[in-house]
Amino acid sequence: MKKSKLSLKVSTSLVAAAIFAAGCGGNDETTGNNNEGNGNNDNNNNSNQEASSDGDKILIYNNGEEPTSLDPPIGNDEYSYSILNNVMEGLTRLEQGEPVPEPAMAEDWEVSDDGLVYTFNLREDAYWSNGEPVTAEDFEFSFKRLADPETASPAAHHSYWIAGAEAFNEGEGSEDDVMVEALDDKTLEVTLENPVDFFESIVAMPQLFPVHKETVEENDDWANSPDTFVGNGPFVVSEWENDEYLLVTKNEDYWDADTVNLDGIEYVMVEDSNTAYQLYQNDEVHITGIPSDMAGELIDGPETAVYPRSGIEFQRFNVEEEPFQNTNIRKAFAKAINAQEIVDYITQENQPVMTGYVFDDFAHPAGGTYREEVGELHEFDPEEAQQLLEQGMEEEGYDELPEVTFSYNTDDLHHTIAQAVQEMLQTNLEVDVTLENQEWAVFLDAQRDLELQYSRSSFLGGYNDPMNYLDNFTTGNPMNRTGWSNEEYDQLVSDALAEPDPEQRFELMAEAERVFIEDAVIVPLYYYNSTFLEKPEVTDVVRHPVGFVEFKWADLQ
Amino acid sequence: MLKYIFKRFLWMILTIWIIVTLTFFLMHAIPGDPLDVADVGSSDAASANLAAYYNLDQSLPMQYVTYLKNVATFDFGPSMTSRSRTVNDMLESGFPASLQLGLATLFFSVISGVALGVFAALRHNRMIDYVTMILAVIGISIPNFIQSMLFINYIAVNIEFFPIARWGTYRHVILPAIALASGPMAIIARLTRSNMLEVLTQDYIRTAKAKGLSARKIVVKHALRNALLPVVTIMGALTAAVLTGSFVVERIFAIPGIGQYFVSSISNRDYPMIMATTVIYSSILVVMMFIVDILYGFIDPRIKLHAKED
Repeated sequence: MKKSKLSLKVSTSLVAAAIFAAGCGGNDETTGNNNEGNGNNDNNNNSNQEASSDGDKILIYNNGEEPTSLDPPIGNDEYSYSILNNVMEGLTRLEQGEPVPEPAMAEDWEVSDDGLVYTFNLREDAYWSNGEPVTAEDFEFSFKRLADPETASPAAHHSYWIAGAEAFNEGEGSEDDVMVEALDDKTLEVTLENPVDFFESIVAMPQLFPVHKETVEENDDWANSPDTFVGNGPFVVSEWENDEYLLVTKNEDYWDADTVNLDGIEYVMVEDSNTAYQLYQNDEVHITGIPSDMAGELIDGPETAVYPRSGIEFQRFNVEEEPFQNTNIRKAFAKAINAQEIVDYITQENQPVMTGYVFDDFAHPAGGTYREEVGELHEFDPEEAQQLLEQGMEEEGYDELPEVTFSYNTDDLHHTIAQAVQEMLQTNLEVDVTLENQEWAVFLDAQRDLELQYSRSSFLGGYNDPMNYLDNFTTGNPMNRTGWSNEEYDQLVSDALAEPDPEQRFELMAEAERVFIEDAVIVPLYYYNSTFLEKPEVTDVVRHPVGFVEFKWADLQ
Repeated sequence: MLKYIFKRFLWMILTIWIIVTLTFFLMHAIPGDPLDVADVGSSDAASANLAAYYNLDQSLPMQYVTYLKNVATFDFGPSMTSRSRTVNDMLESGFPASLQLGLATLFFSVISGVALGVFAALRHNRMIDYVTMILAVIGISIPNFIQSMLFINYIAVNIEFFPIARWGTYRHVILPAIALASGPMAIIARLTRSNMLEVLTQDYIRTAKAKGLSARKIVVKHALRNALLPVVTIMGALTAAVLTGSFVVERIFAIPGIGQYFVSSISNRDYPMIMATTVIYSSILVVMMFIVDILYGFIDPRIKLHAKED
């Protein structure tokens, strides 16, 4: 009895305290409790604390979720590659300033005159975290492993640049026909399918990171534990508590260790953006994403960092369904939607509005950015849209436009954008569009099977070239999902792939983009931004429009 | 008794088999392919290789047989979302956190729920009765995720003792456990109160009073024991629910538990994980119900389990 009386007292007072505190509310000021913010895992009861003792520069980064896998061809998402990019290294790495490849595991390389054969010379002082040298055999093994159907990598298509890789991945060719060969311990020869001059930035991608051959052959689970993981990057994996945190510490044996300023990075996995924001406010994390409902409020704040991202938000027409078999009707829809308003009032993250399809900021061989050289191809024009609609309806003999349904995957932001689009089409074209939302996997399945008439879409770029975008809409590409097929476009894309001269190649790609926009296969909306809250003491975090976060140069002041 | 247990055990196996079968065919009936969820622009060949890796290229009956084997051996293979880790790995690493949180929740909810209920009944229609019942209504009507957010935004950021989120020490357990416990606490308090009120009017309580037993002895030994029976009934389902973690509360407090898998496995169409979470939850549930049935006999000797056999 005494016992239960006591616990009653305790529990009621706790509940009372909770309700009281909830009731009075309104105290936004957070007193900075810095004890837990110095990278000491003193909020974790774990034993290995030496790695993060006082005075060390440990950057705490909210990774959001547990990495899918630290095995390069398997992970294939941001959660994994934001870590992998810092504990491993490919033949090249994108520079600190511009997204241009610079020597990394490869000290230098030669390209044959026809642009097809790359010979990479590996640096002598390249070592794995287990002390073994990084060899050309490791690279040969890794590239073939990416293409191997047994590996079943979802990113296998990134190996298709290498001659023979696609056939091997499709189960037709053999491993020996994949044209990557270690000429000796430190020389790697790669023969390409097409003379693509951006191959040197392809090999900076995490999908093409090398793995330590012996480790991988011996242990299937090598990438699951800090004890067995073998890397070759600026940092090494030291501690890993699944779904809690992953700690990497500076790799003193890294060839460029002098450049690395941080002693380590603690990747914490806090999924809820509001919770992460509170941790950030309380100085328990240095970098985290912006909660989407606070974007408007925080986007111009002093601690907000905005990085352009190669990726687009757009809408697809299904050209096999009425009324979108008609180019002018598609064009009318595309021109009737004001993407600037969507960015200004809904997303509120200052995203640049699309004036074409290809990402604006790719470098053009003529000197400027791709968009500067090629020019704007698409704009919002409600009057022209009205004319185009009338013209299209006349061509099809419509008195009334067939019913149009716009589909999107269930999500608050997409819902709001869909409503705005519905309103714009009503105002600018006097067209009534029905809205329909579906759960993500159901939606995606229907979109792939061309069951949706008009639907929301997005695309995140993988590599640093307009081809990354243009390739998607070739006939039969799994990313096409519109039923659109255009011989001229297909020809331009394949000509561009075969063209060794950069100027000529960009000419062909720009022409392909013009054909694509002229045919109005999509409604271009906006390019993505990556937005983060970063503490003022954090400097030199590198995020390129393609690729993943780099901490090689980062520092805590 | 042994015969009874054996019989119940067979029924448990049968129940789980039915649940597993239903789940298997239901999850395959949902549109959407597990391999396409990520939408990373995989080539057709890469998708086909992945399908083969997960045996998704086999016929449905073949896959069903494989799953039954996996369920029987408790080996669910690699997860379709986190491919390097097996489903078993993921559940094993997450279970301790969910278990700790669950036990704390059970502890909070049962102790305070019963105590509140008893006090309310003893002080029927008086201040303490009204206060506890208002607390109970609040506990039921404010969803635990709202409580969690309020706790973080108003308690954790102001009182240094409570960490905002994450996991590791006993201090990390308190706020999420209270958020999770307040609902069950309220239910238990209300149940206990109404049963106590009923029991206190029974003849044997009057007898006990007439015999001159102390008030404490009457309440603990005679009244409470009988009043707890309905509480024990809901303990089975409650324990299963609480031990398997909470998607929302674990997410908000960034607790590395297994609650997330119960929800994310379905949106990711992660078939092995869906099967594993189903098996775990249903097993805990049927086992808890079985334990509850046994407990009845101990609490109330009038209930005889093996009455039929006698």
